[in-house]
Amino acid sequence: MAEDMTIESYLAAGGVLTNPTNVPPRYRAELMKLMATFVDSELAGAAGFADVINAGPGIKERIAAAKIVLEKTDNADRVLRIMGDFGADADRYANNHPWTTRLERDADIGTSRTDHDMRLAVFNYPLDGWVDAVAMNLLMGRAVVIQLTEFSMISYQPLAEAFRTITPIETRHAELAAEGVIKLIEEGETAALQAAVNYWWPRVAASFGSSSSTKAESLKEMGLRKSTNAELKTRWEAEATTLLESFGLDVPS
Amino acid sequence: MARFHDLTVTDVHKTIRDAVVVTLQPVNGAAEEFDFTQGQYLTFRRDFDGEELRRSYSICAGKDEGILQVGIKRVDGGAFSTWANEELKVGDTIQAMPPMGGFFTALDADASKHYLGFAGGSGVTPVLSILKTTLAREPKARFTLVYANKGVNTIMFREELEDLKNLYMGRLNVIHILESDAQDIDLFTGLVTQDKCAELFKHWIDIKTVDTAFICGPEPMMLGIAAALRDHGLDDAQIKFELFASAQPGRAKRKTVSGDAASSANQTKAAITMDGSTQTITLPKDMSILDGALENAMDAPYACKAGVCSTCRCKVLEGEVEMVANHALEDYEVEKGYVLSCQAFPLTDTVTVDFDQ
Repeated sequence: MAEDMTIESYLAAGGVLTNPTNVPPRYRAELMKLMATFVDSELAGAAGFADVINAGPGIKERIAAAKIVLEKTDNADRVLRIMGDFGADADRYANNHPWTTRLERDADIGTSRTDHDMRLAVFNYPLDGWVDAVAMNLLMGRAVVIQLTEFSMISYQPLAEAFRTITPIETRHAELAAEGVIKLIEEGETAALQAAVNYWWPRVAASFGSSSSTKAESLKEMGLRKSTNAELKTRWEAEATTLLESFGLDVPS
Repeated sequence: MARFHDLTVTDVHKTIRDAVVVTLQPVNGAAEEFDFTQGQYLTFRRDFDGEELRRSYSICAGKDEGILQVGIKRVDGGAFSTWANEELKVGDTIQAMPPMGGFFTALDADASKHYLGFAGGSGVTPVLSILKTTLAREPKARFTLVYANKGVNTIMFREELEDLKNLYMGRLNVIHILESDAQDIDLFTGLVTQDKCAELFKHWIDIKTVDTAFICGPEPMMLGIAAALRDHGLDDAQIKFELFASAQPGRAKRKTVSGDAASSANQTKAAITMDGSTQTITLPKDMSILDGALENAMDAPYACKAGVCSTCRCKVLEGEVEMVANHALEDYEVEKGYVLSCQAFPLTDTVTVDFDQ
C-alpha cells in the first residue's frame, strides 16, 4: 500500500486532518489565523452588540439582541477550544483584548485590521443605535453565513464540525435581523434604515478581504479554502441585493 | 491546558508479532480525567537520550470494559513504538495526557443505526473502541467493519473480533480485505480503494442504510474510501476521519549558537524562512522577530501578539533570541528551539529562524 504519501499531497487531494499532531507548520499557522479571525470577530461583534441591547425598542427586540450576544460568545468559545488543542491559552486569550473598543465612525481602514487583534475590519466601526445595529446585522449576518458555509468544508475536521454546528445559529441571527428590519419599516424608519445600509454596505463588502490575495492557491491546496475572496463577495452581493430589494430598500452603488 | 499524568502499566500482551496491547491504570486520583469517549486517543511522552518524544495512540477498549487500553504497533525506526513493544512491562510508570479527539458520534440507546467502519492495519484501534461501545450501548445498532491488512498474520485483534461477532450475532459484520493473502472471494484481496468500495457497495454492504461511516487508516486509503462514500450519497457530516500520519515528526536537532555571538551594536541580521523561501533582514534588537518580518513585507502568521495563541510559532535554527512572554508553548517545544516570534527578541548578531518547521 502506498503509505508514503505526504501530508501535502494528501491535503491537495481533499484529505482531512483530525488532530494537532500531524498538522504541518504552515497549515497550522494558516489554521490558527483563520480561527483567531473568527474568535476575535465573534467576541468583538458580541461586545459591540451588548451595548445595543438596551437600545432595543421593545422587550422582543431586547431578547433578540441578548440572544445574539450570548450565542456569538458561545460560538467564539467553541472555536477557541480548538485553538486550545494547539496550545493557545484560552482563558488568557478571551481577556487579552478590549473587545469593546472601536475606531471613529468615519475612520477609513479599508480591509486592514488593527494592530492588536484579528477581528475583521468591519468590527472596528461603532454601532450607532438600534436601527444602525439592525442594518449592520442584516448585511453582516448574510456575509457570516456565506463565510461559514465555505469554512464548513475545511480540511481540519474538528473545526469543520464546529462550523457546521455554528452555521445554523448564525443563520438564525441573520433572520432575526430581517425580522427587525420588517418591524422598523412598519414603524416608518425606512429612511434611517436606508442611511444605515448605505453606511455598512461598503464596510461589510470589505470584510471579504482583498480580491488580489496571493494566498488563495496555497490555501486551496491545503484544503483551507474552496472559493476566492472575490467569489464569496459576489455571492454576498447577490444575496444581499435580493434581500434589500425584498424590503423595498435601495442597494448602494 | 492539558497536563501529563502518571499511569501504571497493569498488563502488556502481544496481539500480533509486532503490536502490543497495553492496559493502564491512572494513579494519584487522576482516574476521572481518563474517563474517555470511545474513539479517543492518548498522547504519551518519554525521554529518549535526553530528548522528549510524544506519540499518540488510540484507545482500543470499549466504554463498558472498565479499563484503559491502547494498541501500539511497532513502526520501523520508531523509537517510542519499538520501546513499547520490546521493553515496556507490567509495573512500569508511563506518562500521558487525558484522552483527546473527536472521532466519535453521540450514542442513543433507542436509535437503530447502521454504522460502517473502515480500518487499515493499526487504524483498527479506535474503530474497535467505537464498535464495542456502540454495540453495547445501542442494542438496535448494526456495525459493518471493513478491515484492511497485509496478510492474515498482521491482523490485530483478530480473535477478539471473532468473539464479538459471536457475542453480537447478526449485528456485527467483519469483512477482511487482505493485500497479499488470497481469499475465497477475489473481491476480498488487494487494497481498499475507491473502486473496491464501489464493488463492496454493490452486493456486500447496503450503503443506502448507512448512517455514519468511520475511517481510520493511511492517507491514500482514507481518500479512496471517502470519495466512494460521497459518490454513494453520504455527506461530509456523516463521514468521520481519524488520521495518524505515518510520518510523525522525527527527532529534532539542537539549535546551534554561532561562535561570534553577541558582539556589535544593536542590530541583528535575521534570516527568515517562510513558504520555502528565505529572506535576510536587518532589525534592531529591541524589535520582535515577528515585527521585523512584518516590516519587511513578509506575510508572517500571527494573531494575538501577546504570547497567548501560538499562531506565530517559529523555530530558531541558529543564534539566540529571548522570549519575553510565553503562555502557549510548552517546555519541550522551547527545548526544541520553538519560539513565539511576537515575543522573541534577538540577542545575537545573526539569527536564523524558520516558520516552515
